Order: sequence, then structure tokens, then C-alpha cells
Amino acid sequence: MEYVSSLTGFRFDGRRPNEMRQIRGEIGVLAKADGSALFEMGNTKVIAAVFGPREVQNKSQQIDNQALVRCEYSMANFSTGDRARKPKGDRNIISYSADHGSKYINTFDASFSGKNLKQIDIFLQVLQADGGTRSACINAATLALADAGIPMRDIVTSCSAGYLCSTPLLDLNYVEDSAGGPDVTVGLLVKMDKMTLLQVIALMPTFFFFCCCICFVLLFV
Amino acid sequence: MEVETSSSSAESFIDKAVVPGDIVLDLTSMPNQTIKLGAGLRQEHDMLSVVKAGNLKFKKPNKYWVESSQKRYVPSVEDAVLGIVVDTRADNFLVDIKGPTLAFLPVLAFEGGTRRNIPRFEKGTLLYVRIVKANNCMNPELSCTNATGKAAEFGALKEGYMFDTSTGLARMLLSSPTCPVLEALGRKLSFETAVGLNGRVWVNAASVSNVILVSNAIMRSEFLSSVQQKILVEKLLQRLQNDSPA
Repeated sequence: MEYVSSLTGFRFDGRRPNEMRQIRGEIGVLAKADGSALFEMGNTKVIAAVFGPREVQNKSQQIDNQALVRCEYSMANFSTGDRARKPKGDRNIISYSADHGSKYINTFDASFSGKNLKQIDIFLQVLQADGGTRSACINAATLALADAGIPMRDIVTSCSAGYLCSTPLLDLNYVEDSAGGPDVTVGLLVKMDKMTLLQVIALMPTFFFFCCCICFVLLFV
Repeated sequence: MEVETSSSSAESFIDKAVVPGDIVLDLTSMPNQTIKLGAGLRQEHDMLSVVKAGNLKFKKPNKYWVESSQKRYVPSVEDAVLGIVVDTRADNFLVDIKGPTLAFLPVLAFEGGTRRNIPRFEKGTLLYVRIVKANNCMNPELSCTNATGKAAEFGALKEGYMFDTSTGLARMLLSSPTCPVLEALGRKLSFETAVGLNGRVWVNAASVSNVILVSNAIMRSEFLSSVQQKILVEKLLQRLQNDSPA
């Protein structure tokens, strides 16, 4: 399938391989949340709500000398093409939550982490999923944290990229994402020029996978 | 990908909007000076970077800080805030001041307070209090007296109407010279207000319609310039005159 037209060099949606989709951000969209943001990357729409700093709700999770950052991520039933019902216990969702949470701990101000009684909750909800949901979530959460006035060392930004038809493509949409090529998501601290997230999802040929397994076994034997 | 290195001259950032991560000052270029940092700034080795989004302010000779506006309040000493009583203990009242934790108001922290005349505050009483102690690892402590021990308007606020605003609007209402919206309202109406730096405002006036008018004017004036605030007040006052029976 021609994801990049050989004649014109354009992708399905008329973009060049190094062009992002249109982005749009809005903060303060939720009245009750301490900080909130709505972030759109093309058709992907994510809303983030931040509550905190506040008292730790579950004392058993309290960490000494650090604020507790909790992140919950969920996709609305109507966010994908078919209205699929994914139960909350879905493994995908839980692993995403752990991922997202860990990215933010590193960006928090060290002086803030002296407050060992505090908890910050980040809630992410995907309203429309058209590829790049992880990146849109990170961008939305950054805006919501800045809106809540939580001290941060830097802004975290994120974008995804892939490789199809021998061309690197920036900011994949759903069609390109499900084409079977590799998918890399990068999280970057802008002014400090540091990377907080680098995640690659790719299909490996079976032979390559067996080679890796044999290597691991030989290492430990 | 190229990252632009911002110029380390502070002059380019003063009174402008800054976001977390911006480097506003390079300390290597000023070796023997003392600089005072206020809220929202952080020193990392030789750079001053911003940790909260807002406007960078500078006061001669050497004070820098970031003015930001949030819904949540960070308690700091000597701030006058509006708190709501949540519970009563033997030694303290537990008061909610929109901060990360509840604050304690000792039962004796009133003018002439002894064990015999402890005030009785019900759950939900609105109090105008002063913060005495605020650390980031303890619950803040409050007092209903000023530094010399007098009552000085602190205490319970009766009647009136209380609403929540952002901390930036509360600071604007307390600024001197008087904020334009309060000045314009004060020329035509008589009312009293109590503004807490934690983003709570209490308004009281003789009639209910005046209370509503003053509250609406304050709530809508956060992002308006002084001329726009005066126009807003005039429009609201006109509506009041048109509605009231001639």
C-alpha cells in the first residue's frame, strides 16, 4: 500500500513526510480541576486534569521526601472508530498509566519534592484517537500541570514518528500507525534539551526474536 | 533539531510572560552581585530558570520574581486569608484555606482569648485569619489577631456572600492604588469586602442586588484593563437603574 505517494511525495492526508498535523491547545477548560488542558493533534483529542498538591489519600503509598505523582489514563468508548468497550482492567491501559506517571517524576522541581505529605493526580482521557495518543497525552498533561501552577523544571513535549515505504514519517495518524511499521514516541524537555521518554514499538521478524532469546539464555547459563 | 539558546539578559524577559524552563539570567555575567529571588524562580548552578508560568517582575535594585495566578493557594507567613471551619478539636479549629493541607487555628489565638471564652464556630463558618506559620512539611498555623495581639478585623464574617477566584485576582484587588473596579463601584455603591490572598472574596452590602452586582463585577474584571473595568461597572450600574422601579 502506498503510504507515501511515489509521484507527489505526499501522504494520505496531504502532508509531506516531515510535517506535523495541526495542533491546538487550550487551558483552564475544567472548572473544578486545579489545572486542566485540552490538546488536539490533528483529529486526536485529549483532555487532562490535574489535582494537587493535596493530602495523600492512601497513606500506604506515601513516599518519604517526595511528592506522590499518580497518573490515570483512559480512552473513552467513543474515541476509536468502532465503539469498542474496553474494560478498565485492560492491561494496555494499566501499563500506559505506569509509563505516563514515571515521565513526570523527573520533571518536577527538586525543591518541591521536599513536601513529603503531598500528592499530585493527573487524569488523562482520550476523547478522539487518531494516532499519536501517547504524545497528545503528554502534551496535554504538561499544559495542565503548568495551569495548576505546580513548579516544574521544564516543559515536556512529545511527538511520534514512523518509517513506511522507506521514508521516515513525522506524527503518524491512525492509518499509518496500524500499517505495521515501527513507531517511536519521544518525550523531550525543551530548554534543558534532555529526553525523558524514548519508546519504540516494532514488529520483529520471528528469526530475530529467536536469536535474542538464545542470547539471553546463553548469558545466564 | 535546533534549540534556540535564549539570550541571558534579564531585561528581555521583565514584564513578559515566561514558562517553566526559560532561563532568565546568566549569573556568570554578574560576578559580585547579590540577587534576591522570589516565587517561581530557581537557581541551577549559574542559571536562573523559571519553574512557574507567569509574568517576570523586577524591583530595583535586585529582586526578581514570577507573578502567577492559580486556583490553588500556597500558604505563606503573614498572608491574610479567608478560611472555612471544617472541624473542632480540643486545642485547634481545623480550617480549610484552599491549600495543600488543612490549617490549624488555636482556640486561644483571639484578642483576650482565655480558656473560659473560647469562641464557638460551627462547621462552615467563614473566618478572616492571618497565617502565622507555614512550612511545606507541617500544617499551617493561623491566628485571629494581628502581630501586636489586637483583633484588627480578623474573626468570623457574618452574612454577605463569599466566592472563589484565582490568587492573581485576589492580589489585584488588594493592590494599591485601589483597583479600578473597586474604585468605580465605591463611587456609586456602599459595600464592604474582605479579600483573602488564597483566592476567596467576601462581599457584603445593604441589599442583595448590590451584593450580586459587586460580586459579578469583581468576578468578570480579572483580565480587563482599567478602562474596560470602568466600562463594565458602568454597564452593570445602568442595568440596575433600569431594572429597579422608577
